[in-house]
Amino acid sequence: MKLRFLVPIVAALAVGALALGLHPAPVAAQDLRVTPLPRNGQVLVSFTLVDAFDDDVRAAIRSGLPTTFTYDVSLMRAVSLWFDRTIAEATVSATVRYDNLTRRYQVTRMINGRVESTPQVTDNEDTVRSLMTEFDKLPLFDTADLEVNAEYYLRVRARTSPRNAWFIWPWGRHRASGRATFTFIQ
Amino acid sequence: MSATVRKLPSPTPSARAPVRPAPPARPPFRDNPKLILLGIGLLLAALVAMITLADRSTEFYPDFLSEVVLYALSVADLTMLVALAFVLARNIIKLVVERRRALPFARFRAKLVAALLGMTIIPSVLVLIVGSELIRNSANRWFNPPIEEVLSSANEIAGDYYEERSGVVADHARRIADALPAERVADGDVGAVRDAIAPEVTEGRIGMVEVYQVHPDAAGRPDVSALVAVEAPTLPRDHERASADRLAARVAAGSTETRALDRLDSGGELVRAASAVRDAAGKVVGVVVASDTLSGELASHSRRITEAYEAYSQLKVLKRPLEGVYLSFFLMVTLMILVSATWMGLYVAKRITRPVQRLAAGAREIGAGHLDHRIEPETADEFGALVEAFNAMAGELAVSRRRIERSRIDLERKSQEIDERRRYFETILGRIATGVIAIGADGAVTAINGAALRLLGLEGPVVGEPIRTVLAREPLEPLRHLVEDRRPGALEPAAHEISFVTGGHETRLSVTATTLVSDAGSVEGMVLVLDDVTPLIRAQRVAAWRDVARRLAHEIKNPLTPIQLCAERLRRHFAQAPPQARALVEECTGTIVGEVESLKGLVDEFSQFARMPAPRTVPTDVHALLDEALALYNGLLRTVHLHRAFASGLPLVRVDPEQIRRVVINLVDNAVEALGGPSGAAADGTPGRITVETQYDATNGVARVIVADNGPGISEADREKLFMPYYSTKRRGSGLGLAIVRRIVAEHGGSIEVGDNVPTGTRFTIELPC
Repeated sequence: MKLRFLVPIVAALAVGALALGLHPAPVAAQDLRVTPLPRNGQVLVSFTLVDAFDDDVRAAIRSGLPTTFTYDVSLMRAVSLWFDRTIAEATVSATVRYDNLTRRYQVTRMINGRVESTPQVTDNEDTVRSLMTEFDKLPLFDTADLEVNAEYYLRVRARTSPRNAWFIWPWGRHRASGRATFTFIQ
Repeated sequence: MSATVRKLPSPTPSARAPVRPAPPARPPFRDNPKLILLGIGLLLAALVAMITLADRSTEFYPDFLSEVVLYALSVADLTMLVALAFVLARNIIKLVVERRRALPFARFRAKLVAALLGMTIIPSVLVLIVGSELIRNSANRWFNPPIEEVLSSANEIAGDYYEERSGVVADHARRIADALPAERVADGDVGAVRDAIAPEVTEGRIGMVEVYQVHPDAAGRPDVSALVAVEAPTLPRDHERASADRLAARVAAGSTETRALDRLDSGGELVRAASAVRDAAGKVVGVVVASDTLSGELASHSRRITEAYEAYSQLKVLKRPLEGVYLSFFLMVTLMILVSATWMGLYVAKRITRPVQRLAAGAREIGAGHLDHRIEPETADEFGALVEAFNAMAGELAVSRRRIERSRIDLERKSQEIDERRRYFETILGRIATGVIAIGADGAVTAINGAALRLLGLEGPVVGEPIRTVLAREPLEPLRHLVEDRRPGALEPAAHEISFVTGGHETRLSVTATTLVSDAGSVEGMVLVLDDVTPLIRAQRVAAWRDVARRLAHEIKNPLTPIQLCAERLRRHFAQAPPQARALVEECTGTIVGEVESLKGLVDEFSQFARMPAPRTVPTDVHALLDEALALYNGLLRTVHLHRAFASGLPLVRVDPEQIRRVVINLVDNAVEALGGPSGAAADGTPGRITVETQYDATNGVARVIVADNGPGISEADREKLFMPYYSTKRRGSGLGLAIVRRIVAEHGGSIEVGDNVPTGTRFTIELPC
């Protein structure tokens, strides 16, 4: 085969392989259940990360590594034919540290870098899972910037740390995401 | 690799002007040893840094390892991968293009590069694969089951020990809380509470007991305040009370987490447990916090066991990122080797092929004639020596070429000089009146000049023809005989004089035959030199006749006067004689006197011919001169018509008017005489006609005066003798008229020819230079 035919074919195969191999894994929107609730001048955000405590996460926690679930919450408004507009953003995180000697979990929740409450210590893994993955009515956003009767949506993307990243392509930070649409009615 | 082929400047005058030398071109990276050493140093530093980083990778915080180190290494790997792909693609495309353009050594270079790349890439990829597998296997071996089981069991033991100790302390706390009177705690009765808890400490069942009173704060939430604390003297003093306060507050708030473990600076650990004191209604009125120490050695062993287990577990958790880091390191090193090897392979290929390419290009330039082309030596190795030898060869070629060029120019100059000389001689031969004929050794004419052609009356191409053929005509036979009779090998020039008649003219030639002998002595031919001696002969004749005339005039004229005087004396003496005698004397003396008079006239003409003065020329209007001369015939000619046909534009001609007038009158007189006198006519009976015509030949600078008549004409045999003295076709006359005419014309630098008039008669043509 002539070289002039071989080169484009090889290039096309390389591009295809790159596109297939390097493309981040698609996220399942159903992994994160999001519930918005505008009330009393604030948008109360509730979300639950389902099936987050897999063996890898459990092993990481049991190893004593501080394990953090970080949720990037974005209040957005859809824009046709263009990127959606971000109204506000917040970061919610929950960090657990397991003491193998005392067999206790210490969970610390933070909102936008501030500690939400005193660290909670427990020896119950279910409690830890609940503290790490279930957040109820967090007053993350102010409704003052929202337009009445307009439709908005909340997008929550979760990521864990430490990440069990692989070399060559360690990108693709968010392991789960979810969104919920609501209409702001005053 | 940039070409540094240069051309030597031509030594023009401007090149000698002082010019600022151009700054030396900055050598590219590949040709700069300092930069190459710097690059190698940076590469080694990067390798050392990578090895250090890999060695310390397990100490990194997991987030830093997976978020920073791994990302950085991946970015570096991808960058090097892109760089490798770029270097390969660029050079492969260049090689393909060079091969398609059929550039010299493109195929060789492509093969060399392919061989070098193959020798580098294949081992590198194999090492990468094997090394990656080794890393993965090594990582798997880190976490083999026995170690994990031992660590896990040890961790379980440590945890169980702690659990047991904390359970004991918790039991104490609970038992003390249950035993404490709730109302005393609620009332803050310190003494009663101290009395109740003191035996637990003093009897050594627990290291320390602290009792907190719980009361609501302003917001209604439970708040705690220390009520009493009993501490054993053996308890280390470096524990923090704040820890107990937090635990008490937590329990007061209803937390189920009632245990805590505090590290002590002294090395041990303090196990705390809390239990709520409730009143009869179940309300929490106080909190008991019991604390006991774990001995330092035991605690530290337990902690180290736990830490080892956690470290092992964390390593297991971070197995993939760590594998990724190591593999990234390995891949990076491989890519560095590949990039370096690829670059080095291409560089080596260029270093090998480039001098050869440059030599080939230089050879093409030299072949195209650019002998000033030079190749800049880039290295001092064998290639540099080769380039130097090439430049030396080119220099010698240039010198040789310049010599040849100079020789060629000299030859051209000499050839030009020879050509000019040849043309000069040809011009001379063409212009001279002497005829020259060159005859080759084969008897063919090799050269002949115009004078020879004219003298011999030859026409058409003669050069190359055999001389025998050229001289085959009858009049030229004497000359042919001369050539044929020339003895072969006779070197001495032979002079002959030959004469022949062509067109009614007698031509006398002085011929000199000279044999051409080369420097080697061989006979190369013959040269005939023809000199027209006809005018000379004529002049000699005229001179002879003039001398004769002068002698005759002198010798005859002297006795004529005495004869005439004697005859007159006789007449007078016999005047008285008898009539018969007197008549005889009269008749004789009359005859004597008459003949003497006639002789005197003849002698006068002779004297005039002999003593003709040199012409005194002045610019003269020939037409006016002719009109003046012809005016003498007005009324004299009866039937003969004198016609004038003067040309316009005839310039003034420098002549002696008196002598030319005499010439014209002589010729007109001859014409009238030829027509039979003033009343004469042509032979066919038509009226006599004399035409005096002038012509101007500007090309040759000649003015012609033509006198023609329609008389009977002159035979060819008489034409040549016509101008000789004492030759006359008339019964009367001295025969000197035309001789004088020719002499006058000749002394004016002109010529006179006689020819036939058309249809009848004679035509005299005088040519005078003007």
